[in-house]
Amino acid sequence: MTEAGRRDDRVDGTHRFPAWVYRDGAEPDPRFSLANERTFLAWVRTALALLAGGVGLEALKIPSLDGPRLAASAALLVLGLLAVVQGWIGWARTERSLRLARAIPGPTLGVVIAVGVLVAAGLVVIGSLL
Amino acid sequence: MTTIDPPFDAGLQPERTLLAWRRTGLSIGVGGLLFIRFAIPELGPVAVGLGILGLVLAAIAYVDAARRYRRAHAHLTGGRVHPSPAVPVMLVAASVAVFAVACGIWLGVAA
Repeated sequence: MTEAGRRDDRVDGTHRFPAWVYRDGAEPDPRFSLANERTFLAWVRTALALLAGGVGLEALKIPSLDGPRLAASAALLVLGLLAVVQGWIGWARTERSLRLARAIPGPTLGVVIAVGVLVAAGLVVIGSLL
Repeated sequence: MTTIDPPFDAGLQPERTLLAWRRTGLSIGVGGLLFIRFAIPELGPVAVGLGILGLVLAAIAYVDAARRYRRAHAHLTGGRVHPSPAVPVMLVAASVAVFAVACGIWLGVAA
């Protein structure tokens, strides 16, 4: 454990979970940690919105060809799963970076999700025009 | 939440985080209700069970957020470090992941 890590334990008296996030570095400004927590929650709501979109397309039988609509539905559900994975990994990696005073990691899966939503939207539009 | 002592931060970060947990909890609850509404024809009691599980999780997240807000406020104004939110964070993430898989199973049955 680093010197900074030991200092933290003297303030807190307990080891925080998960250890791989809290083991190294110095205590960051708590406001940044709180912002990081809210970013995770925003990803959770994004995931829920993607899942609702995926289920809604098929459950409400949005007027569109069956094939493209089903593909768009499936894509949105996969993207919802990716969004929540991004939320968790992003929270942990960002918290660790804050402690180490390193650059905050970008949303790794963000590009995949953005392109995926674009493709799903394109499928719905094409399916409804054909 | 009836604290009369001044806030930890002029930007009200802990309070905003509490509200973010609340709207996330409400979103999860609405998701559970919608799942029951739309998945009953295909999944029957499984849809109801999963939906109720979502509602219970949402209620726990909502209530626990208030408890953790008070704890964070006490720690931060008392010069202690910010408590880790990792356990509820992991629980919510895992639950939404399971919910995503359940939606996928529903789509497979419905299509």
